[in-house]
Amino acid sequence: MEEQLFGTSLRITTGNNNNNNNSGTVSKRESVYCQQFQQYAHQLDAVNEKRERIVKASRDVTTSSKKVIFQIHRINRANRGAALQQAERDLHAVQSIHVRRVAQELKANETWKYKRAFSPGMQEFVEAATTLEFCKTGKLLTLQQLNASLSHLKDVSDAPFSISTGDYLLGVADLTGELMRLAISGVAAGQREVAIAVCGFVQALYKGFSQLPNTVDIRGMPKKMDLMLQSLIKIENTCYAVHVRGLEYPEDMIVNALEHEEIDSDQEA
Amino acid sequence: MEEQFAEFRAELDETGSVYEQLRIIAANLDSFIRLMQAALMPIHHCSFPQVKEKVKGYMSDLCGLYAKLAHVIKDKPGQYYRYHDLWRNQTSTVVFVLAFLHWLDTGGLLTHTETEALLNLDPAVFGIDLEDYLIGLCSFSNELPRYVVNRVTAGDYNCPKEVSTFLGDLYTAFRTLNLRNDHLRKRFDGIKYDLKKVEEVLYDVKIRGLLNGPSLQATATGHESNVATSHQ
Repeated sequence: MEEQLFGTSLRITTGNNNNNNNSGTVSKRESVYCQQFQQYAHQLDAVNEKRERIVKASRDVTTSSKKVIFQIHRINRANRGAALQQAERDLHAVQSIHVRRVAQELKANETWKYKRAFSPGMQEFVEAATTLEFCKTGKLLTLQQLNASLSHLKDVSDAPFSISTGDYLLGVADLTGELMRLAISGVAAGQREVAIAVCGFVQALYKGFSQLPNTVDIRGMPKKMDLMLQSLIKIENTCYAVHVRGLEYPEDMIVNALEHEEIDSDQEA
Repeated sequence: MEEQFAEFRAELDETGSVYEQLRIIAANLDSFIRLMQAALMPIHHCSFPQVKEKVKGYMSDLCGLYAKLAHVIKDKPGQYYRYHDLWRNQTSTVVFVLAFLHWLDTGGLLTHTETEALLNLDPAVFGIDLEDYLIGLCSFSNELPRYVVNRVTAGDYNCPKEVSTFLGDLYTAFRTLNLRNDHLRKRFDGIKYDLKKVEEVLYDVKIRGLLNGPSLQATATGHESNVATSHQ
């Protein structure tokens, strides 16, 4: 009895051994299941490995897009032409190297399967591209224009890669944060007109966003809209400060005051 | 700028309505599956044929609901994963119920492909995500310790041996997967605790000599003994 018991529990815990008692059918069934699951393992492996490659490419899109944005913040009256050109080149590199890597992993029906893996990268890329466009022309780069510039990137089935509406909207929401920084640094550099231009632009953006229905499909939209409103308020306060106090105080005092307000409100939050 | 946002409004209205259509069907699916699961639960104290008939009665409506989901999506290739969260949990529960039923019927494991066939699903259009299937199997495993305990109480002393063999094989098969540290991995870890509980019941039954005792007339498949011993 005890031997049997011992033999039985040994068989159970080391499921792979084949010297079982009345086990002809048992080990056969086990190997059928294992064969089946090996197929599943291959499928899962393929999916997981692709997802990892896409995540890595997306992270690179993010870091290189952020560099473009930093480059844009470095633009001043003196270096404007050269700095803009550099930013253009950098943005093009982001697209042709890193966004391409994402595009090349995706088959036609797989965009939504791997969406979460590359969405952050695309949002950051949209943010960089729209920030640059605003600096160049004061206009909003449309999704159509952006996707036209990407149409040379093909996915596995040779269809052009495109950025989704959701990612575009989230990226543009982030754009307002960068514009807020541009407005404040513009005032510091003595260019009050930048703040005023930014203010009108972001007000129009916010109006557009507020009218969008059904964004339940787009993850994180409510929070981004909150942040957008806060950026807009900071921009409006900047314009107010420039207008009301600008006649009396020099720029850097205004900027100091604004930055203090910013620090205070960040600490409250 | 306004033009672009007007276009977005129209686009989001459309995708919003697709989402709403799917959400409603998925909500129906959800309450339907609860009914189906409730119909299966008496297996813990009733005979299999009774329960089997009741559960099978739900199948055609279930297939209909999945067909409705498939119909909404079929013109939009690749959107399965866009809305996948709407039916992810429900599908895992369906797999659990069907796998349990299949095992009670045949003693075997329902495969991924067989599950899709049972639901009349065409994987190219609307299939069952592999992870949903695997998680459904984990839920099935979770149910087995309780089933075994109740079977033994009802006098079916062969059940623990069969279940522990089956679950052991399932666990071995699962170990061939390379899992990441995600939800599936946690559920997979649960299987070994289920196996342990079943082995404990097997041990209880064995050391009391019950295996070769009263139910000696129980034949090769425990399912017949299930039927035989439960009409008491």
